Amino acid sequence: MNKEDQIKKWLNDELTPGERELFEQGEDFALYQAIVIGGTQFKASNFSKPEAFNDFKSAYEAKNKPTRQLDWFKPMLRIVSVVVITLGVYFTFFNNTLTQVQTIASQKTKVELPDLSQVTLNADSEIEFSKKDWDDNRSLNLSGEAYFKVAKGKSFDVVTSQGVVTVVGTEFNVKQRNNYFEVQCFEGIVSVASGSYTKKLLAGDSFRILNNVFTQDTSTNVKPEWTSNRSTFKALPYKVILAEFERQYDIKISLEDVDSNLLFTGGFMHDNIENALLSITQPMELNYKTNASNDVVIYGNKK
Amino acid sequence: MLKDLNENICEAKVFEHVYNTYSKDVHNFLYYKYGEQFNPKDKVQDAFIKLWDNCKKVTLSKAKSFLFTVASNMVLNDIKHKKVVLNHKKIAPKSHTNETPEFIMEQEQFFERYQKVLQGLKEEHRVAFLLNKAEGKSHTEIAEFLGVTKKVVEYRIYSAFTILKKDLEGFKLK
Repeated sequence: MNKEDQIKKWLNDELTPGERELFEQGEDFALYQAIVIGGTQFKASNFSKPEAFNDFKSAYEAKNKPTRQLDWFKPMLRIVSVVVITLGVYFTFFNNTLTQVQTIASQKTKVELPDLSQVTLNADSEIEFSKKDWDDNRSLNLSGEAYFKVAKGKSFDVVTSQGVVTVVGTEFNVKQRNNYFEVQCFEGIVSVASGSYTKKLLAGDSFRILNNVFTQDTSTNVKPEWTSNRSTFKALPYKVILAEFERQYDIKISLEDVDSNLLFTGGFMHDNIENALLSITQPMELNYKTNASNDVVIYGNKK
Repeated sequence: MLKDLNENICEAKVFEHVYNTYSKDVHNFLYYKYGEQFNPKDKVQDAFIKLWDNCKKVTLSKAKSFLFTVASNMVLNDIKHKKVVLNHKKIAPKSHTNETPEFIMEQEQFFERYQKVLQGLKEEHRVAFLLNKAEGKSHTEIAEFLGVTKKVVEYRIYSAFTILKKDLEGFKLK
């Protein structure tokens, strides 16, 4: 085992007692030990601590309207709980309960359907389907964006407010946002119906209706970029990029002296907001600043 | 069904429990990530306020990852211009051993250098390293906070250690 592997194993606590004894007799061990133990000198609690809950509560209540006080909720919750239990019983016995999965801003999630088909939801999206009826009818409702890996079987429908996608055993991405409906096929054959348009997509094809304008495109990606924590855009209006950015990072962006219909080609990663902001402003020669409530303002250079 | 209602973080008692459970960890994460100047005390409050405002949409089991996601995404004013500043505890000289003043000064120099290196580390390396070595969090716990795998955490700690080792080689210890 070379020196670096030994160090790695030591740091991971993976050395056997025999190996450890040998390691501790190495000439550099004193330094290694000093570094590892020295870390404790930087412990945060020596210099800064969060406030206790009661201080937090007072600070919050001082900042906000009285209607949001924490104590007000409890009696309200008891009344609501009775109503919820009653409705719950009703729906269990008299209704076809639908399974709902929802994501909020900056959240993604994976769902497995009863037939082992897989759905990955992007931020701020929701799907709804009936577990009970799934074997007879594979149909779900989608609001937002999701990537599907459909198990072989009967036809599979994704229903959105702007169009319906029908497939048999394939991989595809459906995106339904404001005035933006897009389907990308990665494997197999996908049939899309939206308004007066019906198209069959093969692997690599995509179908898009943006602001009532229909376009088709092809790409060589094997799965959508957002599932790899990356968003990419090709000649789309800047406001579309900003809307997705707000969804991924859960912040609000406003523009100053910038035309939100300018076409943008490029992308950003989902794991570091400062780099991501640079990725979407520098190519357009724009700048950004944050204001007091941590919202972002993107502004142009005054010529 | 009643069990689910107890898990609703909009209930004051449940929210208080979440606050007490996670406020230290979120605070420490912010402190190690951005340093002292950034006022982690205030920022951790912002994270919990955001959780409270979204309490209807976040279940108890998702609260921890929600808090850490919010903490990681905080956009800071002037972050590009302000350097990260940490601090280290000064070693108090032990009177019962025969530590010479030279030895104590060397120790202090060691920690000053150590601090400089930490401040210059890539954020993600520094956070993983200090959560493990200063806070004593396990690799698995850190992986959960950061939303990455255990292997990634181990790699980051190793990277930080390697840089520290290279920089602190010159110090003669014992």
